[in-house]
Amino acid sequence: MKDIKSLEQLANRNRRNIIQMIYNAKAGHPGGSLSVIDMLTAIYEIDVDFNSEKRSKVILSKGHAVPAQYAVLHSKGKIKDEELNSFRTVDSRLQGHPHTLDIPETDATTGLLGQGLSIAVGMAIVKKNNNEKNHVYAILGDGEMQEGQIWESLLQAAHYKLDNLIVVIDYNKLSSSGAVNEVINLEPLTEKLRVFDFYTIEIDGNNMQEIVNALNEAFTVKGKPIVIVSNTIKGKGVSFMENNPKWHSGALTEKEYEKAIEELDKAKEEII
Amino acid sequence: MSEYEMVEMRKKIGEILCELGEKDQRIYVLDSDLAKSTTSIQFKDKFPNRFIETGIAEASAMSIASGIASEGQIPFYVNFAMFVSGTAWTQLRQAAYANLNVKMIATHPGMDNGPDGASHHANEDIALVRSIPNVKVLIPSNIKELKEAIEIAIKYQGPVYIRCSRDVVPNVEFENKAEIGKATIVEDLGEEFALIYEGTAAAIAYKSFQELKDRGYKGKLINIFSIKPIDINLINNIASTVKGIVTIENHSVLGGLGGTIAEIVAQNPKHAKLAYVGVSDVFTESGKTSDVKAKYGLTVENIIKKVETVIK
Repeated sequence: MKDIKSLEQLANRNRRNIIQMIYNAKAGHPGGSLSVIDMLTAIYEIDVDFNSEKRSKVILSKGHAVPAQYAVLHSKGKIKDEELNSFRTVDSRLQGHPHTLDIPETDATTGLLGQGLSIAVGMAIVKKNNNEKNHVYAILGDGEMQEGQIWESLLQAAHYKLDNLIVVIDYNKLSSSGAVNEVINLEPLTEKLRVFDFYTIEIDGNNMQEIVNALNEAFTVKGKPIVIVSNTIKGKGVSFMENNPKWHSGALTEKEYEKAIEELDKAKEEII
Repeated sequence: MSEYEMVEMRKKIGEILCELGEKDQRIYVLDSDLAKSTTSIQFKDKFPNRFIETGIAEASAMSIASGIASEGQIPFYVNFAMFVSGTAWTQLRQAAYANLNVKMIATHPGMDNGPDGASHHANEDIALVRSIPNVKVLIPSNIKELKEAIEIAIKYQGPVYIRCSRDVVPNVEFENKAEIGKATIVEDLGEEFALIYEGTAAAIAYKSFQELKDRGYKGKLINIFSIKPIDINLINNIASTVKGIVTIENHSVLGGLGGTIAEIVAQNPKHAKLAYVGVSDVFTESGKTSDVKAKYGLTVENIIKKVETVIK
């Protein structure tokens, strides 16, 4: 396993590719991609072995954050350099939301919020039946927690005691219209999940050490599904995007692009 | 057409799934608290690990089926047609978008659940599922075809929707084996008319054909086993040879069998006249299943009247 600093370096490079993809496409969801990228980077580095036939699966239920998944898959050699520039264009494999027929390594076709956790439940049931020792990750958005289907699948995951299922809620506190808890209040979120009979872990989801610790803790849990409530900053790593609902979805001007890259380059130098 | 008994197909679902689930360990069955009604409960008793009860949560059930299929298994989601096609429509659409190997057995289609009323009458399910790319739509008309449909679904890689009647159907068997994209000419007595039916309307189609025969009309009785893909060649041949076609469906005439046949024959410059028997863009009501079906158009008299109109 890689050390914390190299994971941070990798997350920084993935952030750069997220900005690159969205800048080229002139469309996409930078805010939620940047908030979740530390977690995604860590999960793939620590627990996804593409050389193994029976491996852990990662379902990006908040499919609009797909630039984050593409960036990670690019770092794993599953997406070519030149493909990154084709995001959201005709004839590209890099669709606006994950699609397994285009890129099988995305593990699930998502994009319609609320469905990914149920898909993960189905996978986890089969893996348990087959005594596989790996995990299924469902990466949810906080706004997505307002979908009814999420609560159906939370009940089911707990009912089947799926301790091979690790749910991550990317709690960046903002959705399309603004503050998620002002749209419809989720709080007390961690408490709700606990009484749904999940093993809950709450962390700073932009802190690599906390992420790694949380995953290691999750691997020890028996008899119930795990949820990591990952408190993050929407747009993390690009100052003018941070905590700004405007960057839920949108294109960058050339100037904004240059500033974002400059900031990420500077942040890279600070990782020592 | 010889004498035949009537039989309930639904009662065979559990039995067939158990038989095929014994041979193929990849088969999973999902239920949303209706396993007794659909008879999938038999699978639970035999293969508890491969029977997934989701509770009354149809949207999630369909996505769980997607997850099970993603892991190389063959999930059958068995539930009422209303829930499989309607409640879980976007979940099914996502499964189809990924061309996942999910299978559905949709029971209680059309007005088969008469007493429960319009809320439960799945008169739109064919329209809902056949408009989704990648989904194959099969409608067995007898028990042999039901088993063949399930066998086809296991063999075929991709989403398959099987519409299975709850009401009785004639207990007959066709010599030919059911196939995706193939219809069956059940009887061929002449070129005056063709009755084209979907499997869950088999009973009324058989009765009407017999009555037409008794009255001296000479026509064809066509069973559309596979509504998507549909047997375009056979339909075009019939549309070019008979004087009139009447479609019979336990479904709305919008977007179902009648609509499908119209889409095909409209492109055929010299096609027979076409009339539809089915529910005409209205919500139905509670009643004994046979009474509801009769009130909303599925009667021998109505079918004969339509035939007489199109062959004039």
